[in-house]
Amino acid sequence: MGDSQYSFSLTTFSPSGKLVQIEHALTAVGSGQTSLGIKAANGVVIATEKKLPSILVDEASVQKIQCLTPNIGVVYSGMGPDFRVLVRKSRKQAEQYHRLYKEPIPVTQLVRETAAVMQEFTQSGGVRPFGVSLLVAGYDDNGPQLYQVDPSGSYFSWKASAMGKNVSNAKTFLEKRYTDDMELDDAVHTAILTLKEGFEGQISGKNIEIGIIGTDKKFRVLTPAEIDDYLAEVE
Amino acid sequence: MLANKGVNPPSFRKTGTTIVGLIFQDGVILGADTRATEGPIVCDKNCEKIHYMAPNIYCCGAGTAADTEAVTDMVSSQLQLHRYHTGRESRVVTALTLLKRHLFNYQGYVSAALVLGGVDVTGPHLHTIYPHGSTDTLPFATMGSGSLAAMAVFESKYKEGLTRNEGIELVTEAICSGIFNDLGSGSNVDVCVITKGGKEYLRNHLQPNPRTYTSSKGYSFPKKTEVLLTKIIPLKEKVEIIEGGDAMEE
Repeated sequence: MGDSQYSFSLTTFSPSGKLVQIEHALTAVGSGQTSLGIKAANGVVIATEKKLPSILVDEASVQKIQCLTPNIGVVYSGMGPDFRVLVRKSRKQAEQYHRLYKEPIPVTQLVRETAAVMQEFTQSGGVRPFGVSLLVAGYDDNGPQLYQVDPSGSYFSWKASAMGKNVSNAKTFLEKRYTDDMELDDAVHTAILTLKEGFEGQISGKNIEIGIIGTDKKFRVLTPAEIDDYLAEVE
Repeated sequence: MLANKGVNPPSFRKTGTTIVGLIFQDGVILGADTRATEGPIVCDKNCEKIHYMAPNIYCCGAGTAADTEAVTDMVSSQLQLHRYHTGRESRVVTALTLLKRHLFNYQGYVSAALVLGGVDVTGPHLHTIYPHGSTDTLPFATMGSGSLAAMAVFESKYKEGLTRNEGIELVTEAICSGIFNDLGSGSNVDVCVITKGGKEYLRNHLQPNPRTYTSSKGYSFPKKTEVLLTKIIPLKEKVEIIEGGDAMEE
């Protein structure tokens, strides 16, 4: 591949017009654990696999789905440490916006600012792009919203999306199952079924994580017990 | 220098103020008056001096109103970020340390005297913070120009293990003492009760200074400037008129 000669430096375009490092970052994302998000008529649900490297790991200490503001949550596929850095920056930006305008930050604004940070790391010296894609779920005055942000810094609004290992199967499944007038509960069931599709082993409340936000505009992560209840409904 | 010629710089808005706090058996009660002054003038008859820091921590502010607002707002923001990162409820000592470090950095130029109170996992806490950055930890505290009047009430009537109603009554009495005996304090009493279960912000809990006399007929003011004398002088007769020509050099 002629491109490989140009893959050493992030800030150099290859002859085909690609930035190879970003392609590699997307590959890193593609080998991460599956995560997905679904926008319902009255809320948004995001979910991810939580496969721990060993049974000895205390799974209660790992939380992949994080809250950015009371009404915006986020999940990722890719490198966990990179995710932590982005979450920290996004929270600070949301708080700064709130300090300045005395208004909770709209979802689009937060996504835009996070994407701007990710883009910065594709055009600066001595740094590498983030190895994560984010799914941002929020509920503000414009209703429920779901955005995907890529390592390049581009972002899209989705009705339903998936990322990570099982992305093509998951997206096909979602395309078949998605309806515009879905309720939040239906969306949770669909999310669970989608995760189940590519899941190796027994699915339970301990090895998946689900976050929801409804018309109350409060993002929260479901407890393992609540997830088990949903799983029982799905069976 | 200008003061010699009788021109004084504008005085900034201070909160004059009586602010108090006390610890009772279930938590902390904070109280404040609601008068804001600009020198000798009352510029706000019902301002809010009890500021939100965290769901379980509130802070009363005396001194320059802009300073107390800005500093409590900033620390409240920092506490929110800290809560996200730690996943835990904020502690009063955290707010205390963030405030005192900031005030010390500015060597007293940030003129904010605060009474900080809240309930966290380690129990109820009450602190006073001075503009230069020193702090005290007390079971009952007062700050502001009315602090002596309020402290007199506390010193004679405070005891440990007060109930909620006794506490609110004592706080109200102390603030009223400031309102009526201190010129820098006045208007209404605000109270905030914080316990382990939650908080109750009693805005204008007591209004001992209502506007009592308003004329039902309304007030009639003269409708325009009074005309005392009418004298018309046609200026053409008084002044030399140059027709045309360049009126002014460019």
